[in-house]
Amino acid sequence: MKTLMNGACLALLMSGTAVLANDSVLAEIAKPQQWAIQMGDYANTRYSTLDQINKDNVKDLRVAWTFSTGVLRGHEGSPLVIGDVMYVHTPFPNKVFALDLNDNGKILWRYEPQQDPNVIAVMCCDTVYRGLSYADGMILLGQADTTVVALDAKTGEAKWSTKIGDPAIGETLTATVVPVKDKVLVGVSGGEYGVRGRMTALNLADGSEAWKAWSTGPDEELLVDPETTTHLGKPIGADSSLSSWEGDQWKIGGGTIWGWFSYDPDLNLVYYGTGNPSTWNPSQRPGDNKWSMTIMARDADTGMAKWFYQMTPHDEWDYDGVNEMILTNQTIDGQERKLLTHFDRNGLAYTLDRETGELLVAEKYDPVVNWTTGVDMDPNSETYGRPAVVAEYSTAQNGEDENTTGVCPAALGTKDQQPAAFSPKTNLFYVPTNHVCMDYEPFRVAYTAGQPYVGATLSMYPAPNSHGGMGNFIAWDNTTGEIKWSIPEQFSVWSGALATAGDVVFYGTLEGYLKAVDAQTGEELYKFKTPSGIIGNVMTYEHGGKQYIGILSGVGGWAGIGLAAGLTNPNDGLGAVGGYASLSQYTELGGQLTVFELPG
Amino acid sequence: MTSKTTASLMAIGVACMIGALTGTALAQSADTPPAQAGAGAAAAVSGDGGQQQQPAAEAPAGQEAGGKQALPNGQDITPDHMENGRWYTAEDIPTFKIAEDGTVDWATFSGYRRYSAECHVCHGPDGEGSTYAPALKNSVLNLGYYDFLEIAASGKQEVNTAANLVMPAFGTNKNVWCYIDDIYAYLLARGVGELPRGRPAKREDKSEEFVAQEDSCMSG
Repeated sequence: MKTLMNGACLALLMSGTAVLANDSVLAEIAKPQQWAIQMGDYANTRYSTLDQINKDNVKDLRVAWTFSTGVLRGHEGSPLVIGDVMYVHTPFPNKVFALDLNDNGKILWRYEPQQDPNVIAVMCCDTVYRGLSYADGMILLGQADTTVVALDAKTGEAKWSTKIGDPAIGETLTATVVPVKDKVLVGVSGGEYGVRGRMTALNLADGSEAWKAWSTGPDEELLVDPETTTHLGKPIGADSSLSSWEGDQWKIGGGTIWGWFSYDPDLNLVYYGTGNPSTWNPSQRPGDNKWSMTIMARDADTGMAKWFYQMTPHDEWDYDGVNEMILTNQTIDGQERKLLTHFDRNGLAYTLDRETGELLVAEKYDPVVNWTTGVDMDPNSETYGRPAVVAEYSTAQNGEDENTTGVCPAALGTKDQQPAAFSPKTNLFYVPTNHVCMDYEPFRVAYTAGQPYVGATLSMYPAPNSHGGMGNFIAWDNTTGEIKWSIPEQFSVWSGALATAGDVVFYGTLEGYLKAVDAQTGEELYKFKTPSGIIGNVMTYEHGGKQYIGILSGVGGWAGIGLAAGLTNPNDGLGAVGGYASLSQYTELGGQLTVFELPG
Repeated sequence: MTSKTTASLMAIGVACMIGALTGTALAQSADTPPAQAGAGAAAAVSGDGGQQQQPAAEAPAGQEAGGKQALPNGQDITPDHMENGRWYTAEDIPTFKIAEDGTVDWATFSGYRRYSAECHVCHGPDGEGSTYAPALKNSVLNLGYYDFLEIAASGKQEVNTAANLVMPAFGTNKNVWCYIDDIYAYLLARGVGELPRGRPAKREDKSEEFVAQEDSCMSG
């Protein structure tokens, strides 16, 4: 994909025509020395062509320099590098630092927004923020209180600011915003507060609203055409969302958008997934709850939907569909195709044709996944594309006030937002995963604006009859739906992976280790323990002819809530309670960037 | 606690929320005992008290003459009488009752469920705390019942250079407030170590009195 984009950019440069607003992002991404967008590229591959650090010398890696952010909450995302400047973000209060790479990381400017701290109270799972983006000489900051600010990349001066939501009703912003052409795409968080999800496109020039595409509601607000927008090749028809809810429940129905967005410049389509339907009590919201839990492909200019695919109709387990959509061009069944690969919270990894939305592969990427026997792959079947739900693990069939036990994966999913990486050299995906199961007891809740709207009690524990750990780091073949290798980890792997042309794959662990493994075999080549647990994403850049690896430490997020005190398995009896290792025995709060280099 | 008291506490909650909305600084951080929420939050990841010495948290409830149970700070937690299907002490403070075979009273079980739905996303599983919110099973050992109610109703803020801790006000949230005594009793049982982690294995059934009070509170 990187090669593809290089080509595309080259063509643009050579054409000598006026530079369009979107070119800056493509041009910056095309420079392998930089980390110009959170996911490495528009295709979300998190792959770098840098190869100075390789599988033979990575064992000599050492710390080059460090930087403390001064904030002690969960640090997700990664810094950006544009030219000679590194841009570092923090969780709430969402500070921004511009560091001079020519002067030992001297702070060129800093920006700290003034936000009402009451927004913290409606951030369900820590005050995380998944990082800045860059376009047209501007750093784009998404604040917790849903304000998007464009900062002059040279001075830190605010050029425009637009608030897209209302924290008083539980709306917050945790995802990175993504600039595409002359717009910037902004999601919204708050599925645990009954927030109605939507994608907002702002005009990059001045921050004014260009379009808004809701995840639930009437057709005109969904930005769909009942005749031409398709679901598995068939038109979605009129009132596709309204008819899948009872009454007005879609208005507090969730489907929030807080993961990662990708973009295919050739097809001019943007891709993202929608989150859980609210509440967590399925009996309170009969129907398929469209279009929660859905992969969406939309026109980048107008927002009009080309195709949808709902992975988990009528969710019963909080398996948000927000994880990244990784765009690759690969050979599958002997045919070169434009693919989209998605590792869903529900434990299934999907491979689709990203042009048409055709479903090609849907397989479990953790063998313990048990709520479904698999997806119906027969296009002639009435249940085509639907997962077959196992009655024993159905919290809807077991009903309100019944404790459904032994469901795998747990609500945090086989993978949460922590993004995977793809190497075109190996044709493998490198996936950070959770290996955790749960008991789930739904019950009736009342909706109060701005208050939690959850409606289920959960207890989570390491996957039974396995290695005892709570995570795995796996290599996945998306064309066959098979795990190539799997590294057991003591804790969930909550860090985004990085694959490089040096045949090395990097990831972080909740204990705080940065690890490097062989891209072919998974053999561990290097590890270093940073000051705090890692939930950030590994990035790389080159400066002064030298390759560096950067990672944010700072334990927190969902992982910090669930794992800090350790998990227990109520089914193991009293003797084992508290017997599992707690994260608190390994790490403490922090907020630090660590940058690695080779000696010399 | 009678339903009358519950209603008046809801009113306090509303008043406090209005106070917060008008920008009035809330005084609870200054007024409350030193060993509660803020201090616990600073302990951060040490949710289970594993790294931090918290003798009070691990101390079992003291047994006084006459079979009375008390917290290390002297607060009596002996169940004395039932009201609306909930156990209270002689001073009308909610408490738990666990039979010798481990069967917990319904209200304490209800507290487990409501805690896990409403409090767990910040305060961690089983009252054990998270990376940023205190272990409430320990907080209730030092915090009086009425201080607990005040914080739950009106929230709490500790925002400064070292911390960004904000707890929302739950006084108007029926999913919390109709069950606040249950949550308190559950946390007490966890705090004194009489209830292990996880879902209580055995519980009594929901009583008619409990159902009646629950219905009136949730629909009122």
